[in-house]
Amino acid sequence: MDRFSGPTGTYWLGTDEFGRDIFSRVLSGATSIILVSAAGTALGILLGTIVGLSSGYAGGKVDEIVMRVMDGLMSFPALLLALLVLTTLGSSHVNIILTIGIVFMPRVARVLRSATLSIKTMEFVQSARLRGEPAYYIIFREILPNTTPVLTVEASVRLSYAVLLASSLGFLGLGVQPPSPDWGLMISEGRAHIANAPLIVLAPSVAVASLVIGVNLLAEGLREARELPKGERTP
Amino acid sequence: MSIASFLSPATQESVAPPAEGVPLLEVRDLSVTFYTPRGTVRAVRHASFTVRRGEVLGLVGESGCGKSTVAFATLAYLPGTAEVGGSILFEGRDLMTMPAGELRDLRGSRIAMVYQDPGSALNPTMRVGEQVEEVLHTHLGLSGQAAEERAASLFESVGLPNPARVGRRFPHELSGGQQQRVVIAMALACEPDLLLMDEPTTGLDVTTEATILDLVAELKNRVNAGIVFVSHNLGVIARVADRVAVMYAGQVIEEAPVRELFANPSHPYTAGLLSCVPAPVNETGLMPQLRNIPGSVYPASEPNVDACLFADRCPMVQDICRESAPPEIVANAEGHPVRCFFPERVDSDTWGEPAPRPRKPRSTNEAPLLQVDGLHQYYGNDRKKYIFFGPPSRRPVRANVDVDFAIQPGRTLGIVGESGSGKSTAARSIAGLERRTSGEVLLDGEPLAAGVGDRPRGQQSKVRMVFQNPAASLNPRLPIGSVLVRSIRKSRSVGKAEARGIAVELLESVGLDGGYMDRRPRELSGGQQQRVALAAAFAADPELIIADEAVSALDVSVQAQVLNLIAERQRREGTAFMFITHDLGVVRYISDDILVLYGGHVVETGPAEAVLRPPWSPYTEALLSAAPVPDPDAEPSRIRLEGAVPTLRQPFAGCPFAGRCPRNLGDLCDNTPPPMRVDPADPRHQILCHIPLEELAADQRAAMRGRSAVGEAPGGR
Amino acid sequence: MARFLLLRLGLIVVTLLVISFAVFGVTEVLPGDVATQILGQGATPENIAVVRERLGLDDPWPVRYLSWVGGVVRGDLGESLVQRLPITEMVGSRLVNSLILASFTFFVAMPIAVAVGIWAGVHRNSLGDRLASMFSLVAISLPEFVTGVVLIILFSTTLGWLPSSSLVEPGTNPLTRPQILVLPALTLTGVMFAYVMRMTRANVIEVLETNYVRSAILKGLPMRRVIWRHVVPNAMLPTISVITLNIGWLLGGLIIVENVFSYPGIGRMLLTSIQTRDMPLLQALALLIAATYAVSNLFADLAYTWLNPRIRFA
Repeated sequence: MDRFSGPTGTYWLGTDEFGRDIFSRVLSGATSIILVSAAGTALGILLGTIVGLSSGYAGGKVDEIVMRVMDGLMSFPALLLALLVLTTLGSSHVNIILTIGIVFMPRVARVLRSATLSIKTMEFVQSARLRGEPAYYIIFREILPNTTPVLTVEASVRLSYAVLLASSLGFLGLGVQPPSPDWGLMISEGRAHIANAPLIVLAPSVAVASLVIGVNLLAEGLREARELPKGERTP
Repeated sequence: MSIASFLSPATQESVAPPAEGVPLLEVRDLSVTFYTPRGTVRAVRHASFTVRRGEVLGLVGESGCGKSTVAFATLAYLPGTAEVGGSILFEGRDLMTMPAGELRDLRGSRIAMVYQDPGSALNPTMRVGEQVEEVLHTHLGLSGQAAEERAASLFESVGLPNPARVGRRFPHELSGGQQQRVVIAMALACEPDLLLMDEPTTGLDVTTEATILDLVAELKNRVNAGIVFVSHNLGVIARVADRVAVMYAGQVIEEAPVRELFANPSHPYTAGLLSCVPAPVNETGLMPQLRNIPGSVYPASEPNVDACLFADRCPMVQDICRESAPPEIVANAEGHPVRCFFPERVDSDTWGEPAPRPRKPRSTNEAPLLQVDGLHQYYGNDRKKYIFFGPPSRRPVRANVDVDFAIQPGRTLGIVGESGSGKSTAARSIAGLERRTSGEVLLDGEPLAAGVGDRPRGQQSKVRMVFQNPAASLNPRLPIGSVLVRSIRKSRSVGKAEARGIAVELLESVGLDGGYMDRRPRELSGGQQQRVALAAAFAADPELIIADEAVSALDVSVQAQVLNLIAERQRREGTAFMFITHDLGVVRYISDDILVLYGGHVVETGPAEAVLRPPWSPYTEALLSAAPVPDPDAEPSRIRLEGAVPTLRQPFAGCPFAGRCPRNLGDLCDNTPPPMRVDPADPRHQILCHIPLEELAADQRAAMRGRSAVGEAPGGR
Repeated sequence: MARFLLLRLGLIVVTLLVISFAVFGVTEVLPGDVATQILGQGATPENIAVVRERLGLDDPWPVRYLSWVGGVVRGDLGESLVQRLPITEMVGSRLVNSLILASFTFFVAMPIAVAVGIWAGVHRNSLGDRLASMFSLVAISLPEFVTGVVLIILFSTTLGWLPSSSLVEPGTNPLTRPQILVLPALTLTGVMFAYVMRMTRANVIEVLETNYVRSAILKGLPMRRVIWRHVVPNAMLPTISVITLNIGWLLGGLIIVENVFSYPGIGRMLLTSIQTRDMPLLQALALLIAATYAVSNLFADLAYTWLNPRIRFA
């Protein structure tokens, strides 16, 4: 077994303290973080969209109460909320996905609600109400399709936060449990060996950074394509 | 771009010194092209005109014809992506090649601008006084007390109330009319030589518009400046302009002194525009059918072609019009330049004989279709004093107070009033989009539930609404056909294929072919979108269509198309219309009965011909006299309303209109609610006023005679 | 204004109650019996019962919640299960340490970020703007632990200029050895700086396109005045909301940065309490962090109101 091997033909990025190939660990870590982030984002967007659209369309007291609850959820810093939830539920892929979903839901809901509020006063929605269309039809057929520009941008921005959040949780030891490779955890554990083998830390660092930069560039591109203003983003 | 061959005599002089005879502003062969990611926009293709000191040049045309771009180009304010051809000479110097520093010295001091939508033209976080003072400081070096005093005197000169203190206000604390006065004061601060006014009254109430136009007319005599006044409204132009340049598709197509232009339009487009406008007041009975200009404006995305750009819409088009562009400018017999091959052929019949309007059969069925009794609509405020507890934090706004009216089957009720008068609220609560606070609404004798969702299906399909903004009336994400099919299948049980067939017929009935079924709303022009919205409303075969400012956002040339569609539908199907508008010309054209609202109260109601003739309620009188008339010789009436409809939190002690009424009798009007007086000539005509109707009628007739003796156009109207 | 302030304060109290309830609820449903954890796996049922009795664990949850909240109101955050010390004492110096780090970042990074954002917005598409945008895109994409570790590799392991861990001698405070603050602060600054700068830039660009800025330019005002008197005050309004939201981000970042550099603040303590399952400590710290966030939101709201005449006079 080669511990702390430098880059070789067999181990492109060398090996770690147990002689495991860093390159393959980074690769398999990618699958897990991308899956977790994407699923968490999807969950958050789904929940947030449903809550935001319905609350915005309903208006009045219902809206007031729902948004107060969302405000309450948002009064926790995201990472703190995630830590609390994960400590409660225990760490697993599913729980991290749930956590990301819960953290994102109020933020997505707020954005979607404000989009709904402006769309619902538009004349085509009024016409649909006059036709006697039921609420679910108006929400999902008339309003939802018109939120897609906001929604795609929101989803891409959220995805980058999800990667940051998931890897941060990994770093704090609340991510996927070892020995499954997790970029955050690899960095955290590799710190002890920075002097011997900086690649143990640098490889996953570069991996996280390039993934998030990629997602952010995508978000930027989408925003420009949609010609949306750089509205308020909620970290 | 074709090279301009025509030069007016003035431009052949040497350009260098601003000598005598050099016009204040000369725009020569101006073209402006924007290169945007979405494509090329040829905003101005070919514009030439001159402005002299002390005169007002009206720049008129429909939306998208480039008139505002010309105004901004005159301040050399165009985005970096714009490509400018030709030249703009201010006292002989080309603004396009002027160094930035010199340009800055000109802007705000020698050339100043007044904008459309004054609310957005003022900095929301800065007191209006400082916004004027900074101009004085920059260009005249005034500061402190001196600047404040000068600002106050400017505020006074534009007729702002309390000029010494108004400077302490923020823009949102002023009404729209007052904001525009601040903007005008800002423009006049350094006594400019050239004043550009870009649609300065568009979006303001007709009463406010009249007061701003009075101010402009007065400025014309007071300051020795040249004024370029941009407007789409021929009535406004007739009121203020000395000369008029008509723009179409980025070209100036005709230019003439204002009287000459209105009396002898020499371009078919100008003639068409003039025949599209319904005149507000007219002593003769029925109005002839409005003519309209088919099609829409030559799009700015299209390249320049060697043909007349109006050819596709022109009733007298010849082969030559499509083969080559008309000469840049041909002086016609009357001596005014026009861009047409056959200006001499343009006359009052160019757009066809005025067709008499088919008379509607007098309603025999006396049972009203819609009966509204004691409609009240208050906007409560859910917010409590202590977040969730305690009394409401503010009194509710009273949008409609005890409104009664009825609509007969197959007839049109026009509802007029300024913004804030409660007319849209009345429409929305009858349609069920907003729940009324109290009152009863009967449709065909059956009570209508307050919310549209609570009404049985049969009732839902009997009432439809058409809205002001055509772009928002159709879901941008759905093809045109889907909204039609959906409407049809909601109201009758037909299969999808059959519904599609009906939808195509509907489209054809509003003058669009079946090919539009699969198009998206954004591929249509505003007029086409509004016609689709009408078709969607027709789809359910409703008995009542509520049109809320349905033609206000449309250009005059297509406005007539929509109005005629409504009239035709009514004649064929017997549909009743509730037509809400601020345009008195339109209301006169379309209505059988008229309801005048002020502050949520009915102040006058009755058959159209009775309401539009004296006696008027003082409010109706003020509205009528404020309406701009597309006739340069019309003597403006003297009745003006200041301020705006008050926000109605408190019930009125006396007459709702007392606070602004020019005929206020004092204590009686202020403190005693007026009676609803019945016109003996027609008992359906009723007026809310303390003044006896005979007295009102006598006064108002006398005032009208006084005016027409001075100002009646030769040949009459 | 006074009424507004009262309303906002009332809202803060409500928010804090909600937070306390949530924190309590979350930690209550945690699996595992606290008494067992204190005594270890070998404890006898009798001993456990005694401990449960002493800690009041057998009381119904509303009683326990009220006694906890009552304690918090009196300034008693309870007792740590692991260290057996009053939490109020343990937290004091840690809180000071964290505040030093956070305020250093906040008050240095924010003004610079806003200034750079304004400059970049005004000089949109210039070379400087492009560089700033590129730099900030990279910066917001780097999680704090990556930046931190990379900085350690660079300045500590390789160059040896700065210490890699920021331990504070007991009884002293970080300011006695300011060099230990440099790397954590730099790390914490990265994301915040980039984020606020980008938002400021975007807001400036948006305001530059408004009609009132057009009016200001066409009044012939010098560009300097247009920017400072018309653009900046209006662009600052939305920027303030953004900065507010960032305080939450800053607090999250603090948790990570303190752990990267072993900096003795409440963030490090929080993680320790999670790892050792020290519930009273976790509750107290979570409440403290959330309360800090709520209070800073209040200040941001006040600043917003003060700058916005529409609300000020409403």
